[in-house]
Amino acid sequence: MSNKQKIIDIFQQALTYLAASVGAITLFMIIFFVFSNGYKLLDFGLLVNDYHAKFYNGGIEDEISYSNTIRPNNLDDEVFYSQKWGIGLKDDNDREGNPIIIVDFIADDSPLKNIYDKNNEEYEPLLLETGHLLSKISFYDKQTALTKYGAEYMIEALNSSDTFREIVYSSLGGGIRGSIITTFYLIGMTMAIALPIGIFTAIYLNEFAPKNKITSLLRSLIETLTGVPSIIFGLMGLAVFVPLTIQMTEATSANIISGSLTLAVILLPVIIRSTEESLKIVPDSFRSASLALGANHTQTTFKVVLPSAFPGIMTGTLLAVGRVIGESAALIFAIGTAVKDDISIFGKSTTLSVHIWSLMKDEPANIELASTIAVIILMIVLLLNIIVKFISKKLIKDLY
Amino acid sequence: MNSIKHKGDSIILTQKKNKKEIIDSVVRLLFLITTILSASFIILIIIFISIKGIVPFVTDNNGIGRVDIITFLTGRVWLTGTAFQSNLYSVGFIIINTLYIAFLALMISMPIGVLTALFIAKVAPKKIAEFLRTVVELLASIPSIVYGLFGSGVILVFVYNLAEAFNIQSKGGNSVMATVLVLALMTLPTITAISEVSIRSVGKDIELGSLALGATKTQTNFKVILTSAKSGIFASAILGIGRALGEATAVSLVAGNAKSGPSLGIFDITSTLTSTMLEGLKETTGIDYDIRFSVGIILMIVILITNLILNFIKRKVGNVDVK
Amino acid sequence: MKNILKIMNLNLYYDEFQALKDINIDIENNKVTALIGPSGCGKSTFLKCLNRMNDLIEICSIFGEIEYKEENIYKPNYDVINLRTKVGMVFQKPNPFPMSIFDNVAYGPRCQGIKEKKRLEEIVISSLKSAALYEEVKDRMKKSALSLSGGQQQRLCIARAIAMEPEVILMDEPTSSLDPIATLRIEELINELKKKYTIIIVTHSMQQAARISDNTAFFLMGELIEFNKTDKIFTTPLQQKTEDYITGRFG
Repeated sequence: MSNKQKIIDIFQQALTYLAASVGAITLFMIIFFVFSNGYKLLDFGLLVNDYHAKFYNGGIEDEISYSNTIRPNNLDDEVFYSQKWGIGLKDDNDREGNPIIIVDFIADDSPLKNIYDKNNEEYEPLLLETGHLLSKISFYDKQTALTKYGAEYMIEALNSSDTFREIVYSSLGGGIRGSIITTFYLIGMTMAIALPIGIFTAIYLNEFAPKNKITSLLRSLIETLTGVPSIIFGLMGLAVFVPLTIQMTEATSANIISGSLTLAVILLPVIIRSTEESLKIVPDSFRSASLALGANHTQTTFKVVLPSAFPGIMTGTLLAVGRVIGESAALIFAIGTAVKDDISIFGKSTTLSVHIWSLMKDEPANIELASTIAVIILMIVLLLNIIVKFISKKLIKDLY
Repeated sequence: MNSIKHKGDSIILTQKKNKKEIIDSVVRLLFLITTILSASFIILIIIFISIKGIVPFVTDNNGIGRVDIITFLTGRVWLTGTAFQSNLYSVGFIIINTLYIAFLALMISMPIGVLTALFIAKVAPKKIAEFLRTVVELLASIPSIVYGLFGSGVILVFVYNLAEAFNIQSKGGNSVMATVLVLALMTLPTITAISEVSIRSVGKDIELGSLALGATKTQTNFKVILTSAKSGIFASAILGIGRALGEATAVSLVAGNAKSGPSLGIFDITSTLTSTMLEGLKETTGIDYDIRFSVGIILMIVILITNLILNFIKRKVGNVDVK
Repeated sequence: MKNILKIMNLNLYYDEFQALKDINIDIENNKVTALIGPSGCGKSTFLKCLNRMNDLIEICSIFGEIEYKEENIYKPNYDVINLRTKVGMVFQKPNPFPMSIFDNVAYGPRCQGIKEKKRLEEIVISSLKSAALYEEVKDRMKKSALSLSGGQQQRLCIARAIAMEPEVILMDEPTSSLDPIATLRIEELINELKKKYTIIIVTHSMQQAARISDNTAFFLMGELIEFNKTDKIFTTPLQQKTEDYITGRFG
């Protein structure tokens, strides 16, 4: 072997190493990027909070009776406390990175516990609680205290004032509860539609269908679906399922039902293929044995073939769930991009993926919250894939 | 007695058999219906998108005027005038952008993907191969929106800085290059996985034949294995370009939404058929809504023609493979 | 140098299993040596030792010496790649590469760095002529090698080996997948080739061994039972086992 050839060999081999490292580095970078940007906001509150903050406007009706509660010992050092008003406030940042003043403690005898809703004719009572954000407190005798002046100023203003005009406060927004619920709805409904149709189709194609031109035509029509980009499915959802659901239900716009119908069509080829593959590896001897015992085709299929194919169908289903969680383009058309907190299956809302898209399309894009959602999506999808790998490995082990 | 009882048994048997047969045919019918339903969706898609997409060309769009199909296919500005008040839409430059971007993306992902596949199948030690196979599977399972997020958080910054190094002011990194890089990363797992399968299925005898001729392992890998697997490698390219042409959300986050073109400079902002369809979708009636379906038709035709051409080339190139 | 290959005390193991036991054999220059014996007797394994194709099997370990031109091919740092260009091999099933006929034959020389088109053409044509294939394929050198018939493919594989200008050609049951007519043509070819090359052929057919070989080695259960002139083996074998095998009492 000549030296020149040796050098060429080493060079070409190095190329393959280099190429292979690209994939590994990409995966690492994606995971690193998403986690490093997303971990800060990742807490339980994010999962259960509303996205849109609710604003309240409260006043005090009767004469003010000041609080006597002294500063509790368990308050953090950075909390500013007013004994007069029985309230502890803290500076913080919200999920968009803007400064906020958060209620850290409120005493039971605080006058701010007895406020009424100024926007309501009936003078309904309001409930200020820890975790609420103070936007402003205004007085008759001095300047209004706003969020931007900070918690310390607000406490000083409260302490030095004897009058009270109104308080504006809000819940902490930026949560993704609504998108999580939508995602769950969508997974459930899509699977409820796609699984039976997909599995039955796979059974028909694999167990019942005669080998003729019509069968192969049906088969190739189904296979063609895999090559259609998801945005086209979105258009179909918009053109077919949205009007259909508006006609048949109380929905007035794109909605979760039209979204699940669209996703079901996207998933059909996935489910059909994985089911068929698992049906194919069920040995024919099982079928013959069952038929020889006097069972008919249906019994054989449901009692012998399907149970043997179950793990395969399971992996197909899990992959399909991953697809639902990850899908974005089709859903932008089929259920819209409006982030909602009150979820109805007849209304618009976003899944986690579309929520990311909405956040990124906003000006300015909220990369942190988007990354936080991406962390959740990635964890679910990667977990699903590892489970699938585990099941298929076990399946192969059992078979051989 | 005995014979009568026997007779009775057989009657019950036949009745049972009839019942079983009825169940069988009912079940068969049910399954056939679901199968036909599954198969009908592709037809449904084509029909409905065509009907909707043809509207702008055949009606006067509520008095705005008919969209001229030739202008639509050849023009270099997406919309001359205002949405809902103009019938002057064009996608000619967007078709070119889309093909150009998909082609460049494949130029990057094909060599990397095929070499990775070769590495996994033939070069790497078993453990590393298994690890990389998992990496490829995970990359394939990452949703496109996450690629889009990664694109806007990392690739846009990279491209922006790169452009600055060349003294070019790019629009926040939104560019042909950013789109190409995102699509290259997204098509990489598809190409790698399919190429790997086809490389692995190259017969051992062919490999031995080459080694017995005094070829080195690397020569064998590059000259014989890759040649023998080219039909599968080509198939991976077809799937890869399909994904690159049809990808929507990730592209819409890094393309920059150019309204005219074509954009051929790598730091220019651009737009693809899919990103155009996603842009500013607010209303649900009128020409600005219908025209998206027209773009959808164009997208499907572009994908179809690309596939036909590639399949034709595959047959030509793969001629050697006929067994 | 009368004997181009000398095999001394060759032992070969697959993990624990001993596939070759103490083989000692000398291969004569420009002769056809046939290796016969029942399936699994180690004759193919033995053949693969001669160009170190067994290196590719991880669980295989080899002890002993094989001298090619008086140099031990199993000594450390021996140039295996070079050995394989000098000791060519033809496989049981024809295994042409999925390339054109021309590229198949030119493959080996190209791997050795020969790029000159004219030189390659010369090599390809002369190799194809030597393999008695040239007349049949001269008009379709650019066609796929897979379009050839089985017998033609095998002769192409022989041409491919010849193109390396080897001194020894190893053949591992080269006619087992071919029909009788194609087999006959290969046998005629082997008779031609032995003028220039040393040929070692593994065969299942005793008639074939008798027809084409000068020397015959009989293997049984990993042992070399008898090695002698072919006519001696088939007429007056020295060992009882050999006689039993060639008269068809087992095998």
